[in-house]
Amino acid sequence: MAENKNEILSPDNSDDQLKFRDPLISGLDASDGEMESLSLDASVRSEPSVSRSSSLMGNLSRYEDCMDEETKDLFVVVDDPEKHTSTLEAYVTFRITTKTTRSEFDDSQFQVRRRYNDFLWLRQKLEESYPTHLVPPLPEKHSLRRLDRFSPEFLKVRQQALQKFLTRLANHPVLSFDKNFQVFLTAKAWEFQAHKKHGTGILSRMSDSIHNISASYMMKNRSPEFSMIYDYIQNFAEKLGVIDRISQRIVKEQTDYVLELCEWGPIYTLWSNSEDELTFPLLAMSRAVDICAQALKETIETTEDNFSQPLKEYILYTDAIKAVLRRRDAIQMEYEATIDELNRKKDEREHVKISDQTYSIGAFLGKDPEDVKQQKQDKLEQQIDELTKKMEELNDRTVCADTDLRVDMERWHKNKQKDIKDLFIEAADRQILYYEKCLKTWEDAIRGIQAKDISQDALESQGIENSPNNLSSEERGDTMEGSSTTSEPQEGTTSSDPSG
Amino acid sequence: MADDAIPKYSPEGLSHDSAEEDPFENARQAGKKNLLQWMEISVAEPEKRVVTSMKVQDTFIVYLVETRITDKNIKYNGDGTSSLWRRYSEFELLQNYLSITYPYIVVPPLPEKKASYVWQNSPTDKFDTEFIERRRAALEIFMLRVAAHPVLSQDKIFIGFMQREDGWKESVYLTDFQSKADSRLKALSASFRLRSPDRQYDELKNYCNELESNIANLLKIRARMADKLYGIHKIHANYGRVYNEWSGIEKDMAEPLQSASHYMNVFSQSVDGILDEEEQYADQLKEYLAFADSLRSVCRKYECLQYDVERAEDNLTYKKSQKDMMEQGKTGGAFSLSGMKTKLFGSDTPEQRDQKIKQLEEQIKQTEEEVQTTSQDLQKFIDASLRDIDRFKRQKVKDLKEIFTNYAVMQIKQCKKGIAIWTSAKDCYTKM
Repeated sequence: MAENKNEILSPDNSDDQLKFRDPLISGLDASDGEMESLSLDASVRSEPSVSRSSSLMGNLSRYEDCMDEETKDLFVVVDDPEKHTSTLEAYVTFRITTKTTRSEFDDSQFQVRRRYNDFLWLRQKLEESYPTHLVPPLPEKHSLRRLDRFSPEFLKVRQQALQKFLTRLANHPVLSFDKNFQVFLTAKAWEFQAHKKHGTGILSRMSDSIHNISASYMMKNRSPEFSMIYDYIQNFAEKLGVIDRISQRIVKEQTDYVLELCEWGPIYTLWSNSEDELTFPLLAMSRAVDICAQALKETIETTEDNFSQPLKEYILYTDAIKAVLRRRDAIQMEYEATIDELNRKKDEREHVKISDQTYSIGAFLGKDPEDVKQQKQDKLEQQIDELTKKMEELNDRTVCADTDLRVDMERWHKNKQKDIKDLFIEAADRQILYYEKCLKTWEDAIRGIQAKDISQDALESQGIENSPNNLSSEERGDTMEGSSTTSEPQEGTTSSDPSG
Repeated sequence: MADDAIPKYSPEGLSHDSAEEDPFENARQAGKKNLLQWMEISVAEPEKRVVTSMKVQDTFIVYLVETRITDKNIKYNGDGTSSLWRRYSEFELLQNYLSITYPYIVVPPLPEKKASYVWQNSPTDKFDTEFIERRRAALEIFMLRVAAHPVLSQDKIFIGFMQREDGWKESVYLTDFQSKADSRLKALSASFRLRSPDRQYDELKNYCNELESNIANLLKIRARMADKLYGIHKIHANYGRVYNEWSGIEKDMAEPLQSASHYMNVFSQSVDGILDEEEQYADQLKEYLAFADSLRSVCRKYECLQYDVERAEDNLTYKKSQKDMMEQGKTGGAFSLSGMKTKLFGSDTPEQRDQKIKQLEEQIKQTEEEVQTTSQDLQKFIDASLRDIDRFKRQKVKDLKEIFTNYAVMQIKQCKKGIAIWTSAKDCYTKM
């Protein structure tokens, strides 16, 4: 069954990847005016992946049991950004407060200040030390919105992203026990700087295999499990990319709409200057329009912070997943390359056994062909032994890598589902809040528009005909009667009213 | 000439050709202030007609104008109903007739000929069903407004418009209303030559300009707002699409995503209804934009009459000063024309002078009469028009309050709809 699937899947696999890659890159570069065509593309491409991914989910669900609730014993809070200015550079540090019950820590509470570069260092260290684990992403170094990097808005967004990064690490069963992570959380400034310098000696053991990343696309025997993860992540990243672009488009339209509203409201105010009896209704309209514009403005701002940014983090997350998948591929590749090499040597050994060495270079030089043969065979035996050992070692590594990744992906899927859920619920709540604000505004506005209506009715009852506006003839008859019958008591009230 | 422009409030003006039983006269005498108190009027059922004459195809829309007498005491025309087809140009003729015949009345305007202040999805074709339906509604409002007017609703031509299919057009032209129309032409420049225009009308003219520019700006921005709102909603359909595709690669999230996709589409589609309703608001504002023009046209007609008075007065002053000079003889100013003449040709004989003075006195008398009649006309016009402008203002206050209230109610409705859709979407997300 699994083999069968493999055969079906692998041929179009690499093909798919190429197809996916192209539009993704060009799609990101393209201006957001291409929404229609982009989402159309997505619909075409996503269809073949349906069957595959559902079985992927089946695979993953098997690991759910061992991934149950871990008891949280490490809490990290990022806050209080602070700008530092030295003669050479200006930078921002964030306060990182850690509370823990873990015995590995000397104390139960720590407080340090770290800058973005320190986070970058930590992440790099983690990727080097745990090439087969999924290391959560950091926010991009530069603001996409081209904000001043010391502006409060930018720092708020960054603080949120860094908080997410550290929380994800703290909740990770393996990464949270990393020595560098612990140092990052606890070390005093000078200790930390020293550690950073000292730590560079390790350098990546992985650097060799990382060079092979591009080669991994040519790998034939990637297990369907990871091919499916790869496909899923590609697809998922693409969907998030589309959603991000849609949300940007909506924000843009909303911003334009707010601008129009901001022009619309004042016209009612202007109009109110040339009316005597309509001043209140017109001002009520003006105010309502202004309040709604303000409400939408706030909605747009919170969308940026609470929707767009988390969405971007998830897009970065998919890049991290792709990176770890590539590292896993590299390990498998090395393993497979070793197997190939071993098989070649074995073939050679068979070949040497039956070959006639009479015309070999050795024999030509005067050696005994049988000796040459023996020598070659010995050498091959030795190589085969070495390769077999290496193969077994690599096999272990591959199996470990697969397990690590599988577990991490399972964790990721669980988190993703919760994060996406929260993200979308929050977005819906924001819309509901906006409409509720507007609803209340217009309800208040009606009261403003109808204000002073009593005196108005009294005027009307003195012989003004009803307007045909918006009223069917029947209703008109009713209101006619209504106004004439109410006119009597009203005259009574106006006469008793001192102001009237 | 000016005499014709003055309203005929006297019943004689209306009843001279009354038949054996004129329900309109009866109703008027029975104390009915306007037609709507005993008659139901509707403009229903637009219909497309194609007429080919001399190989030229003419396509137009006709509207069914229906009336029904609701007061059982008034008997007319069998069962008291009438229905006939009218096309827009006939409405135009009626409106034109009314505004010329009743220059002192703020005559209700007709719906716009061509769609203005349009946004991207507004119909551009004049045969678009939605456009025609909106025009039908507006024509009905026009009819109801005229019928609700204490003076206009008594007009024979107006009644004929609803009752007489054949020969109505001819009867309109028989009134020779167009001969009075030319007086409007000089109105264009009259205001510049007025010596002492009434402050009230100057203020009214300013008010018209302000009203026009405010409403025009509101409409202009509203059209842009409609574009944006349309975009905001329609882009949500893309969410619908991508959620649907996304649901294909998810397990637990698949179903919630698919239902959410549905609500995104619902949200996207909801804008169509919203903008239809907002179009009504725009139409109502447009009517008042046109009303500003009706009001201005009353001001212009005032200016014409004021101009007539001033011209008569000028004439009188001139004649009087001439007469004075004649009487004073040589004592006329050293540089005056008559002084020069006297010097050159010798002075007139006393007989000649007497003759001229007599002639002038005759002219002065005529001019004085002219001043008197034009002043009377003007005063009558001012009284009548101020009365109608007052009526218009009250109608305007009432209408606009109603229009704004309706707008607020519409917004509330839309907000509730929005809340409902997003609450449903939230329910989907909660199941993720």
